[in-house]
Parts: sequence; structure tokens; C-alpha cells
Amino acid sequence: MTHAPPSRRSVKLRGRAFKALVLAPEAPLPDWFADLDASLKRSPTLLDGRPLILDIAALAPDPDVLGKLLADLGTRRIRILGIEGAAASLSGTASLDGLTLPPLLVGGRPASSIEIPADADPETTSLMIEGSVRSGQSIVHHTGDVTVMGSVASGAEILAGGSIHVYGALRGRAIAGAARNPRARIYCRKFEPELLGIDRLVRTAEDMGTTLRGKPVQIWLDSGSIKMATLD
Amino acid sequence: MSLRNLFNKRASAPTARDRLQLILAHERAGAGGSDLVMLLREEILAVIAKHVTVERDKVQIRLERGKDMSTLGVDIELPVTAAPKPPAKPPAKVPAKASSKRAAA
Amino acid sequence: MAKVLVVTSGKGGVGKTTTTAALGAALAQAGQSVAVVDFDVGLRNLDLVMGAERRVVYDLINVVNGDAKLNQALIRDKRLENLSLLPASQTRDKDALTDEGVAKVMDELREKFDWVICDSPAGIERGATLAMRHADLAVVVTNPEVSSVRDSDRIIGLLDSKTLKAERGEIMEKHLILTRYDPARADRGDMLKVDDVLEILSIPLLAIIPESLEVLRASNVGCPVTMNNPLSAPARAYIDAVRRLKGDPVPMTVPSDKKSLLNKLFTRRAA
Repeated sequence: MTHAPPSRRSVKLRGRAFKALVLAPEAPLPDWFADLDASLKRSPTLLDGRPLILDIAALAPDPDVLGKLLADLGTRRIRILGIEGAAASLSGTASLDGLTLPPLLVGGRPASSIEIPADADPETTSLMIEGSVRSGQSIVHHTGDVTVMGSVASGAEILAGGSIHVYGALRGRAIAGAARNPRARIYCRKFEPELLGIDRLVRTAEDMGTTLRGKPVQIWLDSGSIKMATLD
Repeated sequence: MSLRNLFNKRASAPTARDRLQLILAHERAGAGGSDLVMLLREEILAVIAKHVTVERDKVQIRLERGKDMSTLGVDIELPVTAAPKPPAKPPAKVPAKASSKRAAA
Repeated sequence: MAKVLVVTSGKGGVGKTTTTAALGAALAQAGQSVAVVDFDVGLRNLDLVMGAERRVVYDLINVVNGDAKLNQALIRDKRLENLSLLPASQTRDKDALTDEGVAKVMDELREKFDWVICDSPAGIERGATLAMRHADLAVVVTNPEVSSVRDSDRIIGLLDSKTLKAERGEIMEKHLILTRYDPARADRGDMLKVDDVLEILSIPLLAIIPESLEVLRASNVGCPVTMNNPLSAPARAYIDAVRRLKGDPVPMTVPSDKKSLLNKLFTRRAA
């Protein structure tokens, strides 16, 4: 008996084109990063969810510089989809020990520019809730502050792009600055929260201690950690 | 009321047990679709409907489930036109009482 | 035109059915015509607490489906002729209740009675939202216990969003009845205090029902506690609640059974 070779279907490969944003760093890099940071401060969500290509034709970095550049972008949570304009020297991977590079791309064509939000902040609106937010209710407001005249119950949550003001007791969850706004704050007249968050940093009730419990408190972000103090 | 309650020291739990035993026996029997009382109710209505047109909301059905005996009372208001002699006063109430012997389950 | 009141809580076992029966009976004892409606389809209990379980012929679902007329399904209380029960079905499930069918039954009940009291099932599912949907006012039953308080808060949120009244942009009138309250335990600090619960839920207090054997006795014999022993502490608390519902300003107290028998007898005589 002879075995017929197993029939295999060929894997289908299809093409697809996306528009990508091109980041083209220029020397000196510290200045370029300062400009980038300024833009991100104005529109924190500028690069969120967009495919990004790094064009290094002008910079022509050596592998060390490229490695540091990618790392610096990484600390800003900017992830690069591919690298364009790399010198031939880079295409040999031998010199890139320990460095995982995004794919090197060639043949990109300029496309009509992608809409980028203007300098001004996206329109901010504040949301005012006259009563209380009850357990199981969730208030999500990405474009500005949320003010609650009553209390926020245990099991309720508020998520705001801006700051959160609670004129009653805060017993549930409050997440401010959800639109990457580290300057957002949370204010409440009676501090008994289950969870607090500002700009994706969170703290649960267990890590808050008991000294502030029941007091009027403000919560803000200071050099990457959540700070809390009484308002009195 | 309060005097009776204060001096009548009969505990209430036996009453609770008796009530539960009785109603659960009926409900278990009814779960199999063999509830005799409900069957009788439907058949009595069907028989009467053969001879007179009965408006369903002119029928009052009372039921009293007991341990050894359940009583089913069906009060039907017969329309004036159906009665042999039209009564002077409100429509005649014809009580059709049916009792069904039931063994305690 | 009746007032429709829903008795609800979120959590099970806190005393919704006891409260429905007691409020219904107390209103009827005060001369109002009252229908109590069991919405707990598949797990009916109000008939047992009212002592009408042996007389159920038709139920809410029969009326909703048009198998029976409302007045055929209503069971008149043997002790109070102005008190009627519309039982739930024990054999069907809650999907048998249609929005339109329930609306029609509620309209008809409104025409016939002064008060319609709807006993909500536990939970926040369809049965509970249907029970509250047509209400003019709500009684939220809560035990002084953390899970019950949180569930009540959840229910208050639903009362403010899922009811017809809320959808019309009106404010749903809500009252709190705190059940199974034990003043001694609260004093010792082992039970949430009334003020704690009120502060968290922020709705007005209608009554505090003390933990009492009388509630159990009443359900054992199938008689609402306000009829079974009108002078007992829970009965007095419910009777006060009804007076407050009708607009009498009754001072809030926690009635107590813990008097000597003689003392009790004499105060009765005096009263």
C-alpha cells in the first residue's frame, strides 16, 4: 500500500491597506520629544488607537539610538507598527542584539492627511446629576466633569473624562481623568469609596487607610501616585 | 383579642404544618394535571354551556380545599331569556353545588 | 381611583410578603377597600400569609391571559370583606406576564379599589420590574444588614428609572420600612442603626418593624399580623405606617413587646 500525500489547501493571503500616521523624529531628539509631549498634553488621545509608522530617514540613527528612541516612545505608551526609511545597515539583524524591532517597511506612499484634532481641547461638557447615584448604576461621561448633588452608593460607579464632584457621600467607585487627564481630581463631602481612579491609576478601599473615612476629601495625582487629603 | 392571644398558649407551628401538608398535597396532585376539582369546574361549565349561553363573568366559582373533602361552588347568573318564567326581581341565581370526595394524599 | 403601592426590596426574605399582607390588612381595617396582588409568579406565597391558599381558583396569569375575569380571580378575605387577594400562579413562569396584560389588569384594579398593593418578587428581573411598573408609590423593605441595604439602593435606582412614573419624568414617592429591627442589638453596635440606613438610602422612613415572634405566628396561622394580634409590636408598627401613608403625622417609635403581661393588659384597657 502506498500512501497518497495528504492534500493540503493553500493558505489564502489577502492584501489590505490602512492609513497610518507617520512619526518622523528629528535631531536633536530631546527637543523633538519635548514638542511631542506638548502636543500630547494638548490632546491626550491624539495617538490613541491609530496605526503609527516611525520614519527614521531624516534621523538615520544607529542601532543604539533607535533602541533608545523606541524605548522612549514606549514610556509614552506609543507603540510603533513599522519602521520606514531605515538605512540598509539596519536591515541586517545581526547588529540589533536584544532589540526587537518592528518590521522594516518600504514603499509607503503619502496619503491624504488624517484628521487630527485641532489644538483646542475637544468640546468639554459637564454633567450634573441632581439626585443620588444608586447601587448598580453607572455614569460614564468622557467629555468633562461629573457633579453629583447626592451620594454615590456602594456598587455604583462614576467614570468621568474630567473631575468628579460628589456633594454627598462617595461610597462607590469614582474614576476621574479617564480621557488621560492626570490633572483631573475627585472631590467628595464624605469619603467612603470602594475604589478611586485618576488617569488609569486606581486604588481600592483597602489601600486607603481609615484616617480620612467620613471626611470631606479631595483626591489628585502627584508624580504618578494618588494623593488624598481633607478639604478642611 | 389580646386576652385570647395571651391566655391561649396553643403554639402556631402545628397549624402551619397542617396547612402546608394540605396545600402541598393538593399542589402535588395538581402538578400532574389530575386536579379533580379543576376538572369538575371545567366540565360543569361545559355542561351548562350546552343548554344556555353563559357569560363567563357571570360565573362565580368558589373553592375550599379541605383535608378529606373539597367543596366547589359554582354560582351562575342565568340570563333572563333563558329562564322558563322570567322573574320579577334580579336574574335568578342558580347555585350548582358539587362536592368531590378526596382522599388525603 | 386607587393608589397603587409596590412593596419591593431586591433581596429575598426581608419581609415583603409579610409587609404586603400587614399593610393591606391594616388599610382594610381602617375602612379602605384594598386588593393585594402577588407578582411572584411560580413562587406564590401571599396566599399562604393571607390564609387563602385553599381557596385559589384563578390567578393573575389567568386574568392576564383572559381565561378569567378579574372579579372571578379575586379572593375576598373571610375576616375583612373589603380586603381581596389576587394570587400569583404557582405553575406558570413569569414570562407568561405580558406588559399589556398587566397594564390592563392594573387599570381594572384601580377602578375597583382604594388601594392596590403589589407584592414584588425578589431580584431585579422582569417580575420585579413588572410589579413596580404601574406603582404610584413604593415601599422599600430593608433589613438593617449590609447586603439588604445595598440591594434596596439598587431597587431605588430602578424605581427612579424603570417605572411608568419615572418614564413620564415624575418623581416616584418612596418610603422605607425597616424590618427585623432589634433595638438591643443596634444599641450594642451589632446592627446597623436606623440613622445609618436612612443616611445611606436617603428616602423617608415609614416604619420600623421590630423583630418579633408575632410575625412568625401570624404567618403560621395564615393571618396578617395586624389582624392576628393587632396589639403586638409589629402590628402597631404597621398600623402606624398605614396612618402615615394616609397623611397622619404619627411620631416615629419602635413599638416593643417587652412589657410584663400585667402592664400590657392594663395599657390595653386604658387605650
